Amino acid sequence: MDFRETDEQQMLREAVDGIASKYGHSYFAGRARSGGNTDELWNELAEGGFLGVNVPAEYGGGGMGIAELAIVLEQLATNGCPLLLLVVSPAICATIIAHFGSTAQKESWLPRFGSGELKMAFAITEPDAGSNSHKIATTATRDGDIWRLNGTKYYISGADESEAVLVVTRTGVDEDTGRGRLSLFLVDLDSAGLDKTLIPVEIVAPEKQFTLFFDNVEVPADRLLGTEGDGLRQVFVGLNPERIMTAAMASGIGRYALEKAAAYARDRSVWGTPIARHQGISHPLAKAKIEVELARLMCQKAAWACDSDADPGVAGEAANMAKYAAAEAALGALDQAIQTHGGNGMSSEYGLADMWGMARLMRTAPVSREMILNFVAQHSLHLPKSY
Amino acid sequence: MNVVVCVKQIPDPAVPGTLDPQTHTLVREGKLIMDDSDAYGVEMGLQLAEAAGGGEVTLVSMAPAGETSGLRTALAMGAAKAILVSDDALKGSDALSTAKVLAKAIERAQPDLVIAATESTDGYTGTTPVQVAELLGFPSVTFAKKVSVGDGRVHVERQTEAGYDEVDCPLPALVTVTAGVVEPRYPSFKGIMAAKSKPVDQLTVADLGLDAGQVGAAGARSEVTDVTAADERKAGEIVVDEGEGHQNIVAFLEQLKLV
Repeated sequence: MDFRETDEQQMLREAVDGIASKYGHSYFAGRARSGGNTDELWNELAEGGFLGVNVPAEYGGGGMGIAELAIVLEQLATNGCPLLLLVVSPAICATIIAHFGSTAQKESWLPRFGSGELKMAFAITEPDAGSNSHKIATTATRDGDIWRLNGTKYYISGADESEAVLVVTRTGVDEDTGRGRLSLFLVDLDSAGLDKTLIPVEIVAPEKQFTLFFDNVEVPADRLLGTEGDGLRQVFVGLNPERIMTAAMASGIGRYALEKAAAYARDRSVWGTPIARHQGISHPLAKAKIEVELARLMCQKAAWACDSDADPGVAGEAANMAKYAAAEAALGALDQAIQTHGGNGMSSEYGLADMWGMARLMRTAPVSREMILNFVAQHSLHLPKSY
Repeated sequence: MNVVVCVKQIPDPAVPGTLDPQTHTLVREGKLIMDDSDAYGVEMGLQLAEAAGGGEVTLVSMAPAGETSGLRTALAMGAAKAILVSDDALKGSDALSTAKVLAKAIERAQPDLVIAATESTDGYTGTTPVQVAELLGFPSVTFAKKVSVGDGRVHVERQTEAGYDEVDCPLPALVTVTAGVVEPRYPSFKGIMAAKSKPVDQLTVADLGLDAGQVGAAGARSEVTDVTAADERKAGEIVVDEGEGHQNIVAFLEQLKLV
């Protein structure tokens, strides 16, 4: 066993760190507050090939895996720039297209993920189908050469800045189980009949959240991704990467908070000695550090399992555990960093409190803490299913 | 045009270094990284080779224990290959014995231009590059803040205290570059993945046709006899502003002849 990252992974970390540190959290938060985007950072990452490290090499990508993409996002978040679209676009969408796309689909979509030209949103969640994908009500109906999509999707990240969206729809019903048969479609966001409305949220992030309304949206037949009716199995291939990337982003936020807290505690002196000398300050930070490092370790294991030929059960369990642990660790680290900063913890200048919404989101999304506990209880501990 | 860039691999400056109590030389154990000041030279070399429309950048380095970590960083930036001289006999080298080794290694690459940093971040002697030039019989131009090549000549804007000198000299030549010369690129992911498969020619002192007695501690002409800790920085003067603080600031600046 060897816990060292490869030379390439270390260099990747350094290179992304170099780019991200030029921008930093003030850039990220500034853009979020002004309603702007982070194009300069996105484009610089694209130029270096960092947005497509997991895209297969024959389609212009880096030919590596989620482990490498997770390093990219972790380093961005460590510099205060947790770019949510990295979770959605290259991790979920590119992974599913690479696995199940036709040759023509792969040729037309995959190279543009790496070049940064393409951002793709992902639409699974619905007002009445959150964690229960079987209840998806958005339908796709065949009409001659085309499909017609109808329904509503919500909490769709970055739908305003994406070119297309990968939509999970119902195309039939399994007669034995009564459950929906799901199919995946690649839909242009400027399609006629597709409207989006902003969902105001208390998260300081340049990527905004939207409700998407599909009203008889016509989708060409060649936009069906993979096999009709096999969408649920196909979409799961993108969901472990989503959890791992969320864990990487949370770990990065945890590291960001702890670095700031440690620097502040070393400098800040109230009774003639740096506050870091008080164990009331140093012990909670040490505890938070342990929890962040443990989460990182599970995140690395999950990424390794996802990229290797390990038993898919190992990847699923580790990805869920990593997401759970990293979200909890990030919140713990951020909370303690704010506490360490005293009144300054809430100031805009110190860039901590504005990260709260993003860190808190990760306890809920993409899968809630409670659903992970259900999963672990049932699959890891073989306890009875609770829902 | 073929460019050689001298790359020093040094202990990570972020980690406090230690000196050998006997020899007073820097302990070089564990992973070494590329000296940040060499990133400018690598970038300059890549840009000049690109502008010349052909040729490549070869890295030359001398490091203990076959260390290549720092070279991989420069290879990831785009250098084509590297020559690494690594030999136990090189322990205790001073600037001149280092220059002897580097000059022999550089000769193998038959460069049109050799680029080095003005000085390293760990040793700071700042003498090795010009010694290399002398041994190679090349003209040397130091402290370049701008470099261009054309018609078999190198044109350099050489940083001075007053401004800069314009210096023009025939190739082959050696130029030392400052941190102001170009902005180093970050390696791309493709560059990072390609770095491992780029050739690193690993040589010993004997391979270079040098005698062990000419190099390392045996060939060194300088010796560090003692090391003294630098004086602790004195605390600044605190002036309590009672309405006249601005006058104190003006007086302080006048004393420094800044106003």
